[in-house]
Amino acid sequence: MPSPGNRRLLEGGARTAACLALGALLWRAWFPAPAGDVAIRLAGTGGLPQALARAVRTPVASLDLAVDSLPGASDRAVARAVAAAGTTVRWTLAAPPSVSAAVAEPLAEPSGRVRLVTIGRAEAALTVRDAAGAVDSARLSTTGVRAVDATMDGLVQVHGAGVLATTARRDSLVLRPVLVLGRAGWEGKFVAAALEEAGWRVETRFSVAPLVDVRQGAADAIDTSRYSAVVALDESAASRAAAIARYARSGGGVIVTSAAARLTALASVLPARAGEAIVPTLGALSGERPRRALGGVALTSVARDAVTLERTGNRARVVAARVDAGRVLMLGYDDTWRWRMEGDDSGPSAHRAWWSSLVSSVAYAPPVQLSATPAVDEAPLAALVEAWGPPSDLAADTAPPVSSVAWDRLLFAAFLLALLAEWSSRRLRGAR
Amino acid sequence: MNPRATFTFATAQYESGDWDSAPLVPANLIDSVARYTEIDASPSGVIVALGSEAVLRYPLLYLTGHLPVRFTAQEKRMLARYLERGGLLFVDDHNHDVDGMFHKTATEELEAVAGKLAKLPNTHALYSAFFRFEDGPPNTSHELNGWGDNLLHPYLMAAMRGDRIAVLYSNKDYSSEWNFHPDNKRFYSVDNTRFAVNLVVYALTR
Repeated sequence: MPSPGNRRLLEGGARTAACLALGALLWRAWFPAPAGDVAIRLAGTGGLPQALARAVRTPVASLDLAVDSLPGASDRAVARAVAAAGTTVRWTLAAPPSVSAAVAEPLAEPSGRVRLVTIGRAEAALTVRDAAGAVDSARLSTTGVRAVDATMDGLVQVHGAGVLATTARRDSLVLRPVLVLGRAGWEGKFVAAALEEAGWRVETRFSVAPLVDVRQGAADAIDTSRYSAVVALDESAASRAAAIARYARSGGGVIVTSAAARLTALASVLPARAGEAIVPTLGALSGERPRRALGGVALTSVARDAVTLERTGNRARVVAARVDAGRVLMLGYDDTWRWRMEGDDSGPSAHRAWWSSLVSSVAYAPPVQLSATPAVDEAPLAALVEAWGPPSDLAADTAPPVSSVAWDRLLFAAFLLALLAEWSSRRLRGAR
Repeated sequence: MNPRATFTFATAQYESGDWDSAPLVPANLIDSVARYTEIDASPSGVIVALGSEAVLRYPLLYLTGHLPVRFTAQEKRMLARYLERGGLLFVDDHNHDVDGMFHKTATEELEAVAGKLAKLPNTHALYSAFFRFEDGPPNTSHELNGWGDNLLHPYLMAAMRGDRIAVLYSNKDYSSEWNFHPDNKRFYSVDNTRFAVNLVVYALTR
């Protein structure tokens, strides 16, 4: 039992401690702690908005963020503003994001489809939605890429494990007619029919007799202001071969069959040469590889910068290359109409889609910028690096954050304890 | 037959009726095509069973006869497939008689497969595909002589697929008109097979 003198000394100490704690609290309320006093550490993305709000309310020296998914655009902007106010923002990402970027670009085809290319973590699951609803649900390839060709309207959203990338088409492509040149025959007829059925506007010049063409469409000059692509099916294009070569160099898209490739005026723009004949595989028209049933030639002497798009065995059948501003595609198949007429039930649609894709791959289609496009977030990972800087080698600390609020609570608790001790001591010795 | 030829004239062989009632027509028309155009035509025609997959190798088919026509189920299936893929069937009533059994049964069978046969406007591209026929289908001597139904048929009938002719039907009896040896063209002041050239050119270009 302390003596009355000691007890008074103890009570005096408790009063002094209570006054000091109260004073410290008043001081902290009147003069907030300057930046640099406190750090905020966060593990996971769940509490990111709250942590950023705290950092906005109370300036801190550093903001260490170990996030497990890519923050959205608003969180990136807040953290960027906090960094601009003097806080050091360091961050690290637990794993590669399921979606790093997504971009939609219009395809040069009449259907108005767009190609959505998404990159991200290999084999990551993702869903794609547009203004009309769900478009696709799939996994990225083992190399972390997926391309989807589909009709998409408005804002396109690509979701993947807590990450959202948004994109939208910015351009519309101007598609002009396709000119088909050849002798009157089944190939020309059915190439034109397939392209028309796929939605292309088609003009034709079919040679029927000397100096007699059967024409569909006006007899316009071959240039990029008139045509998106020219298809030369045989040597009957001879009188126009020089114009076709000029058209290709000035940006036009040209498809040349091996028969038309014999025209010397076209030689300078061809990506390959016609080689030996290929014997068709009997019965293949109804199989998985129907084009093997088509005769034709192997394409040889493929230009160094050309791309071989199709082969039969090790022999090139479709080769494409850029020629100055244009593109030229060379075909080693003859009589593709047989695929449409004699193939299985999918023959007509497959023949149509194949020819349309060939024309689409070379077509000259100048873009026209759309007047109104929604705000997009196409590359959230790149935007994060751009906003916060490159990721740091940050050891994520899962301990609760130590902040000025915690200090205030400690001081207030000390104040209450000191006051309680002083009051209890006085009551125990009988004083009021 | 030249296997690499662009065009081979094909006559449809069907199980009912007399499909081979105009045996000289193919050679005559091949002669005309070779005479007026540079279309790479096979020098002889082929006869192809309407119910066989072989019809799909010949996107223009000629069908004629005098007798009632009833297609088998297989012939109907194959004809529907042929037309859907872009083939053109030219049918000519060898009787030149709208009350005749060929006309009544053939149109019934064709409409069951290809849809309604409607009048083909005389301004259609068929009539200017190579030679120009300002008044539509040329009349035949059988019409002008008052044989058959004693009528001049001012138009042809057609079933369309989109803007293309799928079935072209004639009551004009071109099968009689064109059924002669090609050498005899020299006796005509105007070749009466010129419309057949239009038909072939149209089929190959539209």
